[in-house]
Amino acid sequence: MTTTETAPPVLEAEDVAVHYGGIKAVDGFGLRLPAGRIYGILGPNGSGKSTFLAAVTRLVPLTRGRLLIDGEEYHTAPPTKLARRGLARTFQTVRLLPELTVLQNVQLGADLHAPGGRLRSWLGRDRPSEAVEEAIERTGLGDVRDAWPTELSYGMARRVEIARALASRPRLLLLDEPTAGMNHSERQEVSELMRKLRDEGLAQLIVEHDVQMMVDTCDHLVAMNSGTLVAEGSPQEVVSHPAVQEAYLGKRWRSHA
Amino acid sequence: MIGWYEANLVLIEATFLNFLLALSIQVPLRLGVFSFAGVGSYGLGAYTAAILTLRYDVPAFVAIGAAVLLAAVVGYLFSLLVARLNGLYLAMATIAFVLIIAVLATNGGELTGGANGLYGALSDLTTGGVVAVCVVVAVLLALTERGPLRRRIEAVREDPELSLSMGIGVVPMRQMAFAVSGALGACAGAMNALLRTTVSPEEINFHLIVLALTMVIIGGSRSWIGAFIGSVIFTWLPSMLASAGRWQDVVYGVIIILAAIFMPTGLLGLVQTLYQKLRGRRSAAVTAEAPADDTAEERALLQALGGESRGGVQ
Repeated sequence: MTTTETAPPVLEAEDVAVHYGGIKAVDGFGLRLPAGRIYGILGPNGSGKSTFLAAVTRLVPLTRGRLLIDGEEYHTAPPTKLARRGLARTFQTVRLLPELTVLQNVQLGADLHAPGGRLRSWLGRDRPSEAVEEAIERTGLGDVRDAWPTELSYGMARRVEIARALASRPRLLLLDEPTAGMNHSERQEVSELMRKLRDEGLAQLIVEHDVQMMVDTCDHLVAMNSGTLVAEGSPQEVVSHPAVQEAYLGKRWRSHA
Repeated sequence: MIGWYEANLVLIEATFLNFLLALSIQVPLRLGVFSFAGVGSYGLGAYTAAILTLRYDVPAFVAIGAAVLLAAVVGYLFSLLVARLNGLYLAMATIAFVLIIAVLATNGGELTGGANGLYGALSDLTTGGVVAVCVVVAVLLALTERGPLRRRIEAVREDPELSLSMGIGVVPMRQMAFAVSGALGACAGAMNALLRTTVSPEEINFHLIVLALTMVIIGGSRSWIGAFIGSVIFTWLPSMLASAGRWQDVVYGVIIILAAIFMPTGLLGLVQTLYQKLRGRRSAAVTAEAPADDTAEERALLQALGGESRGGVQ
């Protein structure tokens, strides 16, 4: 534990704000995510979770605030530099390349670290790297590695996205609704995989609607509403926090409860 | 056989030149960029090679090399100019580029020979030379259709935002596509001017744009093989339809319409689909049949119209 306490957090977001004209999608939100932890961001639709994720991955510019990976500022770096710094992500919707097989889609994640410079990797034989094989095995995609994305079930396709992210051997993994559209057992499998990766030291940040899945998986929850922090703490604490219940279920329900 | 070869030499040469012209449209299209700038580069290359040959009497490879280099640089600079455009707006801007080249050629005075163009550009370019260039180009492009480079290209076309998060620079890839497209177009134009020894502004017209696009769409837009199939068909079809007399244009049009309806992935896509079906990969064919170009184009168009990029932002 001492190492996680002395080392800078893998991801640090400080007073992050994203404004679109007059709309304050995110307004003064922050978190510190240490290695080997799973943090979850909870919040109703439109609370600014996904905008925050887009800001962390540099797809939208910050209006204000600072972003750091391993203690190094990166909020002015272009989004293409983040993968090399160890940041990988999945998206809210399935975004697999339809004309590549499952294996090729996963390989795309590892291409960043292709050995021997660009020219050799372009001309040489195209064997899947160790990281690719490992990602496929861990996500249980061995049987469908040569299938096309259109042949996969929704839950399976989501797993390919996670495999693609893992193939880049990230230090920080951002998951945008990783279990949406999955059935119960698939959700449990993904949750289990995430916890296993955590124990190996991977820092993960999840945005998810499914409160139960968040409680089961995350070490720490951060609740957002209207672009700001509402509550923070252990999953149980946050879920039972009055402000969180209000944001999710409305004021009246709480007064009746 | 020698008789056939000699009788059809012009068509044989034209096939290879059209192949390069088709590739100048196909290369950006593979990256999701709808650009006709390659046709403008064809004109630029033709005039550059003709002028160098007429004025300085340089060897063919110098004239062609200079034309290719110039068009690649112009293509790159043009990509900077249209960097913010996408979809149909980009296509319109590239058509304007073609027309500007034609206008410059017409009004270039003594340098371009005005409306009459240039003639008498005699050089040492042979049919074998043209074929050799095409083989080299095809080999280089084949390398972009496999392994990591293919994956990069697929990612840039299908999902620019995903590419960014994978560490792939979308903008440099597209700029490179414009430069390569310029080089290929200019190569075709330069070799055509030197083989025919003439060039005139009438050659660089809307018809050439349509021809280049048709070859790629009917042949197949994903691979150099598709471009080659397209160039063979559309170089030889008009002469084969000569027997149709005045109905020639109608038959030509009907063939294109039927092909566009029943072969959305081009002839090459059709062959690949059949091959995969034979191998029992039924659903793989479904993937191949989905005209991914359309979706990428629609997405680009939506973005151009001011819509949010999909995914992520609430």
